[in-house]
Amino acid sequence: MEFLITLVNGLSLGGIYAMIALGYTMVYGIAKMLNFAHGDIIMVGGYTVLLFLSVNPIVAIIASMIFCMLVGIVVEKFAYKPLRGASPLAVLITAIGVSFLLQSISQMIFGSAPKFIVIADLGILKIGELAIGYSTIITLACSVIVMIALSVFVKFSKTGRAMVAVSEDKGAAQLMGINVNSIITITFAIGSALAALASVFFLLKAPTMTPSFGSLPGIKAFTAAVIGGIGSIPGAMLGGLLLGIIECFAQAVPAISPYTDAIEFSILIVLLLVKPSGLLGKMRREKV
Amino acid sequence: MKKTFCKVLALVMCLAMISACFVGCGGKNDDVIVIGLTGPLTGAASIYGIAVKNSAQLAVDEINAAGGLNGIQFKLDMRDDQHNAENVANLYTGLMEDGMQVSLGTVTTKPGLEFKNLSKEDNVFFLTPSATGDAIPEFANGYQMCFADSNQGTAAAKFFNENYVGKKVGIFFKADDEYSTGINNNFKAALADSFKADLKEASFTGDASTFDSQIQTLKDCEIVFMPIYYTPASQFMTQANNIDNSITTYYGCDGFDGIDAIEGFDISKVPQEISMLSHFNSTATEGPAADFIKKYNDKYDEAKEPLNQFGAAAYDCVYAIYEALKIAVENGKEVDGKTSASDMCEILKEVFNSDTFVFRGITGKCTATEKSTISWSNDGTVVKEAIKYIVKEKNA
Repeated sequence: MEFLITLVNGLSLGGIYAMIALGYTMVYGIAKMLNFAHGDIIMVGGYTVLLFLSVNPIVAIIASMIFCMLVGIVVEKFAYKPLRGASPLAVLITAIGVSFLLQSISQMIFGSAPKFIVIADLGILKIGELAIGYSTIITLACSVIVMIALSVFVKFSKTGRAMVAVSEDKGAAQLMGINVNSIITITFAIGSALAALASVFFLLKAPTMTPSFGSLPGIKAFTAAVIGGIGSIPGAMLGGLLLGIIECFAQAVPAISPYTDAIEFSILIVLLLVKPSGLLGKMRREKV
Repeated sequence: MKKTFCKVLALVMCLAMISACFVGCGGKNDDVIVIGLTGPLTGAASIYGIAVKNSAQLAVDEINAAGGLNGIQFKLDMRDDQHNAENVANLYTGLMEDGMQVSLGTVTTKPGLEFKNLSKEDNVFFLTPSATGDAIPEFANGYQMCFADSNQGTAAAKFFNENYVGKKVGIFFKADDEYSTGINNNFKAALADSFKADLKEASFTGDASTFDSQIQTLKDCEIVFMPIYYTPASQFMTQANNIDNSITTYYGCDGFDGIDAIEGFDISKVPQEISMLSHFNSTATEGPAADFIKKYNDKYDEAKEPLNQFGAAAYDCVYAIYEALKIAVENGKEVDGKTSASDMCEILKEVFNSDTFVFRGITGKCTATEKSTISWSNDGTVVKEAIKYIVKEKNA
């Protein structure tokens, strides 16, 4: 029974990581950059929910997704687009700069004190001996739906297929008449909207916000994306779920729970040694 | 044209940086004694630092308004360490450059461990309001107004042994935090054997905020001892509502202070009792503690910068230093704005270590009319009486 509950908790936490990891992996796949400001989009999403919560939780969630999309697009347009073609290091540093910028802005607006946010009081589902919070179940269900929807979108829609094409070969895609810039913008928008959704589920679990609360899930999700194979959408999902499960099981054993983070990152290191491209990542030959 | 502009701009910026280096070097006023400290004024622990700053300033203003130390005024110089030990070295250097003569150390333990090493070199006296680490008063120049962790852990265990016999006890602590592990180890050492068969432990590290697995481990306990800060504690309490549990009481140490002041956190939604080991009754309605609370709330915005026991301790710290200096001056010592930090340290140490020095403060156990009695052991730890403070009763 304990095992089952921990598994469900792990899957729902993993679902959140997966949603965030999708943003990292899509942006990496298409723009070939590590968007380290992605974690802070989660934070922006959280504070937007807080602002609109008095209206209605659903409205707040939608508003937060739309606002995060706009923030994602604006960040891409003003910070990353001018650097297209610059060295990857310059883009990376810019991303870290954007991350600090977002944190500082929200600290100016909302202050640094932690803010507690109750999106919804959902209660506990009891089936016999099994007792699981509704929030956990909803998180799990929604993350599955999001993952399926995204897979369908990428596989079958015109835009989705254009995204795959751009990630495979930017130059060729451009020759085929795909507008690479707008595809990158769309990628940022989708990734940011997913981050906003993830923030809602994260806050359902852990309802305290500070201007830096996005960094930890951000880093964890980035790890998940790398475990799954950065650039691969199914990889991000698998990596996220795996990381969530590992985290919950490690925390469930008191003797090793202090070393949860160490265990997670050790797994990453071991995996990268055995399979450098991640679980589902494609090996690319680099010509020197 | 653009190049010339860049060069000029670079030159101007260089000059600005150089001149910034000299800003602190201006003439120091002889008639002002500078009390320096660092604490979190921003970040997750800022609620403590802000209360300390406000309360210490309140004490300084009162003392100055009453004529200071025979006409010599006091000045408070507090820097923001964001509860981050890495920031302390720079801040400490800055404080020393700006003439710090005596210190309240740091507000929290982690930066404090850095501070005590730095201040040992220069022999700067510090009396920390709230850095509870056992190692804080390790050197002769360090003193505490709060209980040390070992005292808190031991005092809490004593309370459990007397009041919670036969209950199932769990512990939730932060495994990578000196403060939390320190209290936890002492708590377990002093806990009666009857608890130990059923004792459950769970922990977390870093900024983790999802505790489903830990709550699963502790869900069958009745009393959960939480030697952690209030932010993760509030997370745990909220998340426990989503899991079937038999917890009736959360019991914390001074890290719980402020848990009822988190913006948006409705403490009544936590069905359990929330109690803490404390040295200040922040709901006192009479006596010296209540007088202080009133003064604080008259001056500061209660909603935005709430008072807690950290603040009360800081208020006591400033007065204790003032009283000690007064005694030293009465004994013929010369103290003013020019006295070096090291000389000041020797003067204060002599007073604090003397058997006759008893400070009357607002922390510790006050009566309706009398202030509490506070004294110090020669190892720098405080001697005063603890109180149990119920933050919130159990929901009916």
